[in-house]
Amino acid sequence: MSEVLNYIWLGVLAVFTGPDLFSLFGIGIPVAPIMVLGGLLTGIAVGATPGLAGPMAMAISLPILISIFGFTPDALLPVFGFLIGIMKGATVGGAVPAILFNMPGTPDALMTTLDGYPMAQSGQPRRALRIAQLSSVTGDTFSDIVLFVCAPFLAVVVEAYLDLPEKTALLILSITFIAAVMGSSVGKGLLAVGLGLLASFVGTGQSLTPRLTFGVPELSGGFPLVAAILGVLIVGEIFKGIEDLVRGGNSGRKGAQTLAEGVKDRLQPGDIRRIAPYVGRSALIGTIIGALPGVGSTLAATLGYSYATRRHKARKQPEDTAFGAGAPEGIAATEAANSAVSGANLIPVLSLGIPGNAAAVFLILAADSIGGFNPGPAVFRFTTPEVNPELVIAFGIFTLMSIGNLLNWLIGGSFMRSMGVLARIPQHILLPVVLLITLTAIYVQETSLFALWVTFGFGILGYLFRRSDIPVLPFVIAFILAQPLEQTAREAFAATGANPWFLFSSVTSAVFMLASLAAVVLLGRNRM
Amino acid sequence: MHRNTADLALGLCVVVLALLAIFAWVPNDTATGIIQKIRGRQSIGDAMAPTLAALLIGLSGLLITLESRRKSAQEGPHVSLFNLGFLAILTGIFLASVLLMRWSGPLLVGLFGPEGAVYRDLRDTMPWKLSGFVIGGTFLVGGLISLMQRRVSWTAVCVGLLTAGLLIAVFDLPFSDILLPPNGDL
Repeated sequence: MSEVLNYIWLGVLAVFTGPDLFSLFGIGIPVAPIMVLGGLLTGIAVGATPGLAGPMAMAISLPILISIFGFTPDALLPVFGFLIGIMKGATVGGAVPAILFNMPGTPDALMTTLDGYPMAQSGQPRRALRIAQLSSVTGDTFSDIVLFVCAPFLAVVVEAYLDLPEKTALLILSITFIAAVMGSSVGKGLLAVGLGLLASFVGTGQSLTPRLTFGVPELSGGFPLVAAILGVLIVGEIFKGIEDLVRGGNSGRKGAQTLAEGVKDRLQPGDIRRIAPYVGRSALIGTIIGALPGVGSTLAATLGYSYATRRHKARKQPEDTAFGAGAPEGIAATEAANSAVSGANLIPVLSLGIPGNAAAVFLILAADSIGGFNPGPAVFRFTTPEVNPELVIAFGIFTLMSIGNLLNWLIGGSFMRSMGVLARIPQHILLPVVLLITLTAIYVQETSLFALWVTFGFGILGYLFRRSDIPVLPFVIAFILAQPLEQTAREAFAATGANPWFLFSSVTSAVFMLASLAAVVLLGRNRM
Repeated sequence: MHRNTADLALGLCVVVLALLAIFAWVPNDTATGIIQKIRGRQSIGDAMAPTLAALLIGLSGLLITLESRRKSAQEGPHVSLFNLGFLAILTGIFLASVLLMRWSGPLLVGLFGPEGAVYRDLRDTMPWKLSGFVIGGTFLVGGLISLMQRRVSWTAVCVGLLTAGLLIAVFDLPFSDILLPPNGDL
C-alpha cells in the first residue's frame, strides 16, 4: 500500500515541480497546471462553437504543443494537460449553444436542447447554463474517480493473469466489440475495422521488403499515423460539412437568444436538491457506458435522459415543469450522463492501451509522438526501489484530471456563459479555416507534401464512410491497434511452439474469442 | 422482399475487392508468405495479417449484402452522383492549392528574385519562404468559401489571407526550426 501512495505522491510532484512557465513574486509557476487551464478554456470555446469539436482542437493543438515542448519526457505532462483540458472543456462547452440557440455544440448535447432551450426561452438562460455546468462537472468528477480506482486495478489483473495468447484474444475482442456496437450495422462496423487493419499493414512487416506498397517508395514506412487519423476523423467531417453547405444547408446561426436581464435568472432554492438524484443516476449510466470502448457519449445522454423521463413521470408534483418544457432535471440528466463518459473512456486506454473514443486516440497519438509513455497494462508496474517513470506519468495524468475538474468547478461556469457569441461564427467560414489549420499542423509534423496528399486521401475515405453510414471510429481504432495486434500474435504463435490454435489454447483466450463471435452474432441479429 | 440497392452494391463491391486483395494484391506485394520457416522454426509471415484483414473485409461485404435485404430501398444514406461531383470539385480545388503552394515560391523567385538565385537558397528568407504558403493557403480557404457561397468575394480572399497570416504567426514567427509548406520538400 505504501508503494502505491508513494507513486501517487510522485505523480503529484511531477505535475507541480515540473518545469516552470514563469515566476510570480519569486515563486515558480509550474507549466502543467497552467496548460490544463489553457486547454480547459480552449475546450469550452471549441465546444461552444457548433461545427468544431474537442478532437478537432486536440488535432490542431498537438503539433503546436510538440513544437513548444519538444520530444523529451518533460513534455508529456504539459501536453497531456492541455489535451485533457480540451477534453473536459469541450464536454461542458457543448451545452452553451444547445441552451442559448437550440443548436447542440457537440452531438452529445442534442438532448440538452430539449429542456435547456425552453428554459432559456422562458428567460432563464443563466439558470440553465449553471445547471448544465454543475451536472456536467459532477458527472465528469465521478467518472474520473472510477477511472483512478479501476484503471490500475484492471491493468494489474491483466498483467498478472493474461499471457500472450490471451492478450491477442483480448485485442481481437475489443476491436470486434467496437465494430459491433458502432454505426448502423455490424457489417459496416466490420468493414471499417477491416479497412483500418489493412491500411495499417501497408509498408510494415518484418521482412526487408516493405509490404503492400504498390512499389511506391513513399509508402515504404507506411501511411503517416497523424495524416491518416486526422484525415479520416477531422478532414472527412469537414468535407461533409462543406458539402452540406454547398447543397444549401443552414450556414448561418439561428436567432440569438440574448441573456435576459431583470429576470430572476439564477439557481433557485431547491434546484440542487431536485437535480441531485438525476445527476447521480446519469453519472453512473455515463460511467458504465464510457468504460466500454467505442460506445459514445450520445448513447449515454440518450439513456440518461430516458431513465430520467421515466423517474420524473413517476414522481412529478403538479407544480413541476414537464420534461421537454424546460425541466432542470432534464438538463441535469443529459449533461451528467454525457460528461461522465469522458473519464471512464480512458479506462481501456490506460489499463489496456485500447482507445475507446476520439479523445483517447489523441492521447495515444501524443504519447506515440513524444515517446517515453506507452499506455497499456505495463504502465502500472509498482516497482521498488527503482521508480517506474511511466507509472509516475500515469499518476501525473490523474493529478491533471483532478486539477481540470477543480478548475471546471471554479471558473468553468462563468467562462461558458461568456461563450455564447462563438455560436454565431458562420460555418462557411469556419470549415475552410479549420481545414487549412489542420493541414498546416500535419505538415509541420511530417514536413512532406506527400503527407498532405495522404491526409486528403483519408479525408475522402472519411467522407465516403459518412455518406455510406459506415462508422469512422472503428477504422481509426483498428488502424492504431493493428500493429500491436500483429506483434502480439506473432509472439504468441512463437511462444506456443507454432500452435495454430493458440487463440484457443487457454480457457481465458477461448472465452474472449467466443465473446467476440457472440458480439458480432447477437448485436448483428438485433439490428438485422 | 425489400432490398436496399445501395447497400447491396456496396456489399458486392466490397466482396470483389476483398477477393482481389486475397488472391492478387497480398500474394504479389508481400515478401514472405502466410507462414514462413526459418532454420526449421515456423513463424507468422508478412502475408498473414493482410490476408486475415482482407478476409474480414470480405465477410463484412457478405454481411452488408445480407443486411441490405432487411432494409427498404430508400433507407439509409448512400453515395450519389451529386456526392461524386462534389468530390471532383473538391479534388480540383485541393490540387490547385497544393500546386500553388509548391510552385508559386520558385516562380516568384524566378521572376522577381535576385539574379541567379533559386528558391532552395531563399527558402529561409522573407518574403520568399512564405509566398507559396500564403498563395496556396489563401486559394484553398477562399476557393472553398466561394464554393459554398456560389460566388467569389473579397471576404473569402481576406479570410484566406488572415488564416494564412494567423498560422504564420503561430508556427513561423516563434519557432525557427518549423517549416511551413512547401519548404520541407524543397
